[in-house]
Amino acid sequence: MKFLNHLTLGQYVPTGSIVHRADPRTKIVATLFFLAGVFLADHGMVFALWAATLGGIVVLARLPVSMVLRTAKPVLFLILFTGLIHLFFSQGTPVFQWGILKITQEGIRMAFKMGFRLFLLVLYAGTLTLTTSPTELADGLERLFSPLKPLGFPAHEMAMMMTIAIRFIPTLLDETDRIMKAQLARGADLDRGGLFRRLRAFIPVLIPLFVIVFQRADDLAVAMESRNYRGGAGRTRMNPLTWRMQDSVTLVLALAITLAFSFLDARLPGL
Amino acid sequence: MSDVSLQVNRGEWISVVGHTGSGKSTLAQHMNALLLPAAGDVAIDGIGVRENRSQLREIRRKVGLVFQYPEQQIFEETVYDEIAFGPKNWRVPKGEIPERVAEAMTLTGLAERFRTLSPFNLSGGEKRRVAIASVLAVRPDYLVLDEPTAGLDASGKRELCRLLAKLKENGTGIVHVTHDLELAVEVSDKILVLTNGRSKLWGTPEVILEELMECEVPGLVMPPVPFFAGRLRDLGLDVPVTWDPERLVDAIERSVRR
Repeated sequence: MKFLNHLTLGQYVPTGSIVHRADPRTKIVATLFFLAGVFLADHGMVFALWAATLGGIVVLARLPVSMVLRTAKPVLFLILFTGLIHLFFSQGTPVFQWGILKITQEGIRMAFKMGFRLFLLVLYAGTLTLTTSPTELADGLERLFSPLKPLGFPAHEMAMMMTIAIRFIPTLLDETDRIMKAQLARGADLDRGGLFRRLRAFIPVLIPLFVIVFQRADDLAVAMESRNYRGGAGRTRMNPLTWRMQDSVTLVLALAITLAFSFLDARLPGL
Repeated sequence: MSDVSLQVNRGEWISVVGHTGSGKSTLAQHMNALLLPAAGDVAIDGIGVRENRSQLREIRRKVGLVFQYPEQQIFEETVYDEIAFGPKNWRVPKGEIPERVAEAMTLTGLAERFRTLSPFNLSGGEKRRVAIASVLAVRPDYLVLDEPTAGLDASGKRELCRLLAKLKENGTGIVHVTHDLELAVEVSDKILVLTNGRSKLWGTPEVILEELMECEVPGLVMPPVPFFAGRLRDLGLDVPVTWDPERLVDAIERSVRR
């Protein structure tokens, strides 16, 4: 029984597919296009098209569907909550009323729309992290932001920080699990009482965790400096990113899909 | 884990030995119901963890568990508060807590002056003692320690073993999880050898050493003294396979004189 093993944040599943091999910059920018498209979508049919597009990408990436769906698990509560809020608190033609609870046609439509929109957004973002390793992701972001370097934007430092943060998520979850168990063994009551008592009960977990985090950060800093790490200037790469023809094609295609779906969305009569 | 079965009596020192990933820590966490068995049962003083889910807290009071690197669980502002954390959690009467803390500090050899110090300013060895004292202050009937000697120097190791021997004499059942077979044969009444989550050998140190002479267990290295004794015996000398150098010297002397 691990207390915290259901979190699969930023998990990378290498299958060596064409999607995995694409340049991370392409994938990041294409995902941004798609996210914008899903965000603007309003029509049921357009949502279906976006879902189909995602399905196509998942098939191309040879990812198990269950694994993609699982990325939405941490935000499932948020999705349901948003859906319910819209279901009960929208103005319009009532279809069902019980006391102060009122469900309207508009409410049902909004609930589905918002729920599905959030769900698709998370799945698109999840597919990016499933097909792109944290290192590639950081490299891609660094290169995308590097034009801002002359303006003083710390692109390399940001990418390095992101890589380190992602790298340490599982480690810290393990540490948290271990400290929780240690305090349980000392009789700590971690899951009883009201919110305030529970927060207070977590102090014996949080303080040791902070100590360990600072210790680790210090160790890592020493290890990096002892290998002569001096930030981004003059640093070369083992696998330099190379922009190829197919990357341009993919990006144009992604933009075309987004524009086409959005155009369709605007032209279709309201549902 | 499967096929593991052992009994720990009060006043007995059991060592669980195995290589990394053999399931030692998992077994330790089953002993105070932090982990619950998927099959089989763990019973503490006759209370089975599978039948008595409501009594897990009581079980955790009876069986103290000292995690690996226990100094990492320290969080209070003073040594006193740190050690009092356990007794407070188990609703020990307020008036009795200072006595419990003092007792645990004496047992672990922490001087009176440490009481008001911040545990974070202590040395590694002292922090470890505070952490162990915080478990002892609950007065557990059984004490499970996961690699308690990891990272301690030779004298720290010796002192810890002396403490455990004292607890054993006072009637506490000790379960000592370690990868150090040499230490285990020296201090324990019985040893359980684990490989890949299964129990491989179980018995007194003498029995374990004899068995290890016969068959090798992957990841376990025979300590030098019994290894040497075994070689001498192969050469025809009448000596026991022992970890005790004095006993071996005596036996060699007798054997050679004859």
